[in-house]
Amino acid sequence: MPSIKNINLPDIGDFDEVNIIEILVSVGDIINADDGIITLESDKASMEIPSPIAGKVAEISVKIGDKITQGDLIIVIETDDKGEEAADNTDTNETQSQQSDSIIVPVSVPDIGDFKEVDVIEVLVKPGDELLKEQAIITLESDKASMEIPSPVSGKVDSINISVGDKVGFGSLILNLETNNLSSSTGTIETSEVSPNSPAETVTTDTPKVINNSGINTAPSESHASPSIRKLARELGVNLERITGTGKKGRILDADLKTYVKEIVLSGGTGSAIPPTPVVDFSKFGEIESRPLSRINKLSGKHLSASWLNIPHVTQFDEVNIDQMEEFRQQQKSRGVKLTPLVFIMKAVVQALKRHPTFNSSLDESGENLILKKYFNIGIAVDTPNGLVVPVIRDVDKKSLLELATELLETSSVAREGALKPKDFQGSGFTITSLGGIGGTQFTPIVNAPEVAILGISRSQMKPVWDGDNFVPTLMLPLALSYDHRVIDGVQGAKFMADLNSILKDIREILL
Amino acid sequence: MIKTEVAVIGSGPGGYTAAFRAADLGKKVVLIERYDSLGGVCLNVGCIPSKALLHTAQIINEASESSSIGVTFNEPDIDIAGVRSNKDNIVTKLTSGIKALAKARKVQIINGYGKFKSPTMISIEKAGKEVEVVEFEQCIIAAGSSVTKIPGFPFEDPRVMDSTDALELESIPKRLLIVGGGIIGLEMATVYNALGSEITVVELADQLIASADKDIVSPLLKRIKKQYSNIYLNTKVSSMKALKSGIKVEFEGKNAPEFDTFDKVLVSVGRSPNGKLIDVDNAGVMADDRGYISVDRQMKTNVDNVYAIGDIVGQPMLAHKAVHEAKVAAEVICGHKSGFDALTIPSVAYTDPEVAWTGRTEKELKDEGVDYDKGVFPWAASGRSLSIGRSEGVSKALFDKKTGRIIGMGICGTNAGELIAEATLAIEMGCDMADIALTVHAHPTLSETTAFAVEMAEGTITDLMPPKKR
Repeated sequence: MPSIKNINLPDIGDFDEVNIIEILVSVGDIINADDGIITLESDKASMEIPSPIAGKVAEISVKIGDKITQGDLIIVIETDDKGEEAADNTDTNETQSQQSDSIIVPVSVPDIGDFKEVDVIEVLVKPGDELLKEQAIITLESDKASMEIPSPVSGKVDSINISVGDKVGFGSLILNLETNNLSSSTGTIETSEVSPNSPAETVTTDTPKVINNSGINTAPSESHASPSIRKLARELGVNLERITGTGKKGRILDADLKTYVKEIVLSGGTGSAIPPTPVVDFSKFGEIESRPLSRINKLSGKHLSASWLNIPHVTQFDEVNIDQMEEFRQQQKSRGVKLTPLVFIMKAVVQALKRHPTFNSSLDESGENLILKKYFNIGIAVDTPNGLVVPVIRDVDKKSLLELATELLETSSVAREGALKPKDFQGSGFTITSLGGIGGTQFTPIVNAPEVAILGISRSQMKPVWDGDNFVPTLMLPLALSYDHRVIDGVQGAKFMADLNSILKDIREILL
Repeated sequence: MIKTEVAVIGSGPGGYTAAFRAADLGKKVVLIERYDSLGGVCLNVGCIPSKALLHTAQIINEASESSSIGVTFNEPDIDIAGVRSNKDNIVTKLTSGIKALAKARKVQIINGYGKFKSPTMISIEKAGKEVEVVEFEQCIIAAGSSVTKIPGFPFEDPRVMDSTDALELESIPKRLLIVGGGIIGLEMATVYNALGSEITVVELADQLIASADKDIVSPLLKRIKKQYSNIYLNTKVSSMKALKSGIKVEFEGKNAPEFDTFDKVLVSVGRSPNGKLIDVDNAGVMADDRGYISVDRQMKTNVDNVYAIGDIVGQPMLAHKAVHEAKVAAEVICGHKSGFDALTIPSVAYTDPEVAWTGRTEKELKDEGVDYDKGVFPWAASGRSLSIGRSEGVSKALFDKKTGRIIGMGICGTNAGELIAEATLAIEMGCDMADIALTVHAHPTLSETTAFAVEMAEGTITDLMPPKKR
């Protein structure tokens, strides 16, 4: 026997009044369940609404350009099946035969913690709505948080007892629900084995916080953690879902918990409080392609974020007259010896570090002691096809300009081949990063933690410099010095820069 | 007026554990018990006396079945008074042990019926009259549950028994009807059957022990079908009349007769919580219409200084659940950050064979649409089981396909109640198939069957043909 069914707009999320931009069926069409019937477009997305049932389109109640809302009639379908399969979100034309065992269940506010009087800021359902279990029914807001209260059972909203602005607490009646599905309620207390006369009459909603009297049915956590670890987590107030276990098969170990807590404590508790950047669907604006970051990108990205977040940076700029250095360099070049400006800068930095030992130091774990290094290892930032790497040139103080030039050349080519070994990256005390070969007037380098300072070099430029009488064309090299303000204050920074400047200006000082 | 820091109402396993734990953590504790003997239902009229009688039953059964192994005993001479006093001695030993432990901890025991007067006061009544008042800072309600009585049944007739009466072992009826095929009914059926009664079991649901999976109960069903006169499933008792000749019972069910008459009837259709019987509303504590008290995971009720544990806060009504909840409540009161977060509470029917299950049942997983793997090992392939003369029995292990971890286990067979502990620990520890299968189990033992069930799921079993090789 054919029956007529109304297909209404199901719950499509937070949208009211959505435009119909397309109607995909016409009267007389035979459609299958899940065939698209209309296309909607909101300001955020467009979506096709499928038919929940199969049948013949008898009537179309909407047209292109209409604005519709959840529950609005879209089309009428003539169907042969008895309608048992009408999807949850559609109403049927047949009056819903009230099953004899359906009952009205009051749903009240569950235990929401230490709140007595909480504001109702939103009522998400209206009488007549068909609710699914766990569907949010109201939103509460205290001075600490807002929370949605889910329905403990599925059913039809019979009446609503509260409105926006009301103050409610544990036990306040929210609404009455007509249901015949009490057994699936997680909030109800299961009845005894064969208990003959105990229809549940009051249902408390299941809550994020837990009043769940069935005891045995607490959802097992996805986290792989033994009872003792769960106990420790409870004592420390840690959510295990946030921890990546390092034990066998991802098991969360005692050490994982402690490391997690230690990190939070060391970061002053702010680590996890950094607001995330918005997630945007870029494909809305044009063609896109998703490409994974290289391994080096990922590693250096993590390290750079840590450095940038942990170190209070100050960056100081200067320019140095390198006429003399350039003259010497050109002389050597004409004799067949190739020296890059970088080797002079490395030597000059070592001289400056000797005069200012705090620039060649690190803070210890406690953050209360400075570890001064008696060796002069310089990290050199190198651009490679795979990303930024910082190999270390050791004992710069003990090597000649020529030796440094040769070593730099070799290291750079190994780096570009991606063949550096872990030890090549270790042990640096100060880092130099140079964009001199490319351009730019200045930039602000990020300190390579746990080092405390970094020198950035931009492209040298011929500039008119006033010598007291005239403007003299002078080759000026831009320097940017970033340092950790916890270790180095501005005066020290300026003095280091001044010394470095005078050494580079008169390269004979390198010999001192 | 007695002033105390912590008052505990009820001295069952939950109550005395809560009292003792709180006392050990430095609190002044008062333990209120309405009966003379401590220990509650479990020790006095539940777990313990029933296990004593079940042991007696086991000896009788094993002796009678031993002719198949070439040893034939004469018919046993059953001295029912001796059976009863053995049971009573065990109960007395345990309950007096608790009394001694309470004394050693300086927990004050008050005999009388405790009822709330206010959020800080409990009135102690004897014969309906207030004889004392206890003023407390914190209270733990451990007042348990009572046998559910079906209205209209002639409970006033001594031939209509509840589980407490049945454990008294007044007499051994020739024909005994057990209404309710749950754990309690089937355990008592085991006892009375061994002592010589003809047993009929009637159950409303379509299987015995309705909360367990059917396939796990089936070996038990097969065995008792042969031993008992009748087992009526899907059958309701529509009326019960006490006649001179016996208790006339009318049935409604496809395979049951319209009526039958029994010498005695045991009604074991479950237990109801006692939340309505202790005036909790005077303390502001909410109990629902059936008498359950809602608590959070720290066992705290809606009133800040009142906690509740055990049967009175919900299913399953098991002593071992109450004991764990008791520790949580006592520790929270003493400022610890305790919480009840056990993943599972095992259940055991001490029938013959035993039925035990832990974690999720297969029917729960099906209902919830969880994707799971299953391994089933029939004990007919267990050397140990065969050598103790038993070929029935089955072990079933269930795994979450998504995480690979064990999420449920069901066992039917000799000592299933002991064997289930391994699976419960495995669930709490998040073990996967390999964790259990690669753990060396001693041979020949019944405990091997757990590993074999897991190997069936894993496809690595060699004692049987694996359902799929891996």
